[in-house]
Amino acid sequence: MKKLGLILAYSVLLLSSSISWSGDRLDKSKMVELLHGIDLRIRSSGDYKALFYLEQREKDKADLVHEGLVYRRDADEKLIILFTKPKTEAGKGYLRIDKNLWYYDPTVGKWERRTDRERIAGTDSRREDFDQSKLAEEYDPEFVGEEKLGNFNVWVLKLTAKPGVDVAYPVVKFWIDKATSNDLKRQDFALSGRLMRTSYVPKWQKLYSESKKADLWYRQEIRIYDEVEKANSTLVIIRSVDLHPLAENMFTKAWLESKSR
Amino acid sequence: MYQLFLIALRNLAQHSKRTLLLGGAIAGVTALFVFLLCLSSGIHQTMLESATTLSTGHINVAGFYKVTAGQSAPVITQYGKLEEIVKRTLPDLDFLAPRGRGWAKMVSDTGSMQVAIGGIDITHEPGFKRVIHVLDGKLEDLSQPGTILIFKEQAKKLDVKVGDPVVLSAQTTRGVNNTIDVRVVAIAQDIGIMSSWNVFVPDASLKVLDQLNSETTGALLVYIKDLQRIPQDMELLRNAFSAAGYTLMDREAKPFWEKFQSVNREDWTGQKLDLTTWDEEVSFFKWQIAAVDGLMYILIVILLIIISVGIMNSMWIAIRERTREIGTLRAIGMQRLRVLSMFVIEAFTLSFLSTVIGAVVGLALSGLLNISHLNVPQGAEMFLMSNTFKFTLDFGHIVFAMGVITVCTTVVSIIPSIHAARMKPVTAMQHLG
Repeated sequence: MKKLGLILAYSVLLLSSSISWSGDRLDKSKMVELLHGIDLRIRSSGDYKALFYLEQREKDKADLVHEGLVYRRDADEKLIILFTKPKTEAGKGYLRIDKNLWYYDPTVGKWERRTDRERIAGTDSRREDFDQSKLAEEYDPEFVGEEKLGNFNVWVLKLTAKPGVDVAYPVVKFWIDKATSNDLKRQDFALSGRLMRTSYVPKWQKLYSESKKADLWYRQEIRIYDEVEKANSTLVIIRSVDLHPLAENMFTKAWLESKSR
Repeated sequence: MYQLFLIALRNLAQHSKRTLLLGGAIAGVTALFVFLLCLSSGIHQTMLESATTLSTGHINVAGFYKVTAGQSAPVITQYGKLEEIVKRTLPDLDFLAPRGRGWAKMVSDTGSMQVAIGGIDITHEPGFKRVIHVLDGKLEDLSQPGTILIFKEQAKKLDVKVGDPVVLSAQTTRGVNNTIDVRVVAIAQDIGIMSSWNVFVPDASLKVLDQLNSETTGALLVYIKDLQRIPQDMELLRNAFSAAGYTLMDREAKPFWEKFQSVNREDWTGQKLDLTTWDEEVSFFKWQIAAVDGLMYILIVILLIIISVGIMNSMWIAIRERTREIGTLRAIGMQRLRVLSMFVIEAFTLSFLSTVIGAVVGLALSGLLNISHLNVPQGAEMFLMSNTFKFTLDFGHIVFAMGVITVCTTVVSIIPSIHAARMKPVTAMQHLG
């Protein structure tokens, strides 16, 4: 009787383990590879310029739309975000040089050093929504499971910030399309574990980069929903991506100030 | 001199209508001056009491800690050592209170607002209860973790009541997003501009939100026994901290939150101490007090000019009416200086008696309004930092008001008096008017 019980228990264990491993479970190296792949596809080896629209919706406030230009030189980790519209915001901009993010306001003519985790123009968007991606460098992945996200079959990963790395959100949940390996959904959690924002990427675009000799991918549309203030949302649209070389002296305070005049 | 004084009194009594009119005007201006001085003094005192309870000590040992050059936090680390230095250095130290400082977005189900958070240990700050008037809930409950005290206007804006939860969302000193859920345990009466953005949580809860260890706080609020010693004590503390190897920021008469921009622009990391006084921390609305004082003095000067012209005119009339009397007095041997003194003493007597009456009226009015707890209009609450008018009765101010008005009105009487003293006895006696 005792022997029969043992056989039964062993059979159940074997069956359950075969079920848990039968799915397309990703191991750690595969997950890191996946994140690295996203980082690589977004990264531009040459220069990058794009037009963006930033629409901010807040409860009891009029919708606010910003228009601006993003300039990137990923090899040197340089970035400029320059607002061109509306008139009140025109000339304001961010400049990242030497791992410092600076903010310039032409109305006061002063530069302010800001944190790299800055909310861009007070919206729910962050610098990383416009910049190159460093997922593999900043986070440790953990496999959560597989899901169906609309029509897409996705892997769900939980990313935890590596020790000593400063990120805006220490825990991120990622939904990655199995077919394209593009991230389609992202949830950002605060240190306390509270869900802070949910972002959807309904549109990815690619264009051929001469310098990279490969396609450069970018998120053409990002919809960010504030999960703390439920009525707030932000829409980021990237248009007119141009990969031609930019002027050598562009990423300087003087250049941004000159554009603000 | 006594005779001259009697003559002055008799003349004032003889011309009772003129005396009442002029005396009434002087008394009115004095009453207004005393009333405004009591009000101004009351505003200063309310501001000192509210500010030194809500957000600042008499002296603050605070500072900024920068993890990276672009990321500063208004905190001081290892504050136990700083406490020791303060205790060792200040001879007239009353008490010390560590107070957390932070910024967060306070979010309810229906709204949100940006707030400055004070991390407080309510059991160690008895003065807090004197200044905060709780409308709903219990202040004592603020000793429990995960609780919050908000003000009436904030409660209205967020549509919350006692017992409701709100979320505080902020970035830690390393720029990582964090939140805490807190329960509203007390809603307090608004106390001016500071209550529009200040909220209070237990210090331990603020430390959880900002991910600070137990040896880190926002500022040490230092309370001393003699406020006159603030400049000396400040110097003593600066020297003591420098000697102990701390780096001090240059003094700047700004509240700590106005210094973020300049601190973030500077290229340093680590800890720098920033020592400020209570009036530097509330300097952002001191200009409003200065404006009230300025308006008060402009008003008083205008009224003084008007009554001085009145005094002068009345003296001219009196001299004209009494020309023959002056001529007679001069003829029987009264010296010019005595004639001049006679008129000046008359003006002085009128002014002095009127200012005494005016001061009594002004004091009575101030005292009456103090007792009746007259409500401050909502707009004025912003900088008065109180919901009722407070008048402080200061003997020095009363003497000052009386002195200024008496001297001014006496001085303007000198010119007509000189004219009277210069009259030739023969000409004066022949005067027909």
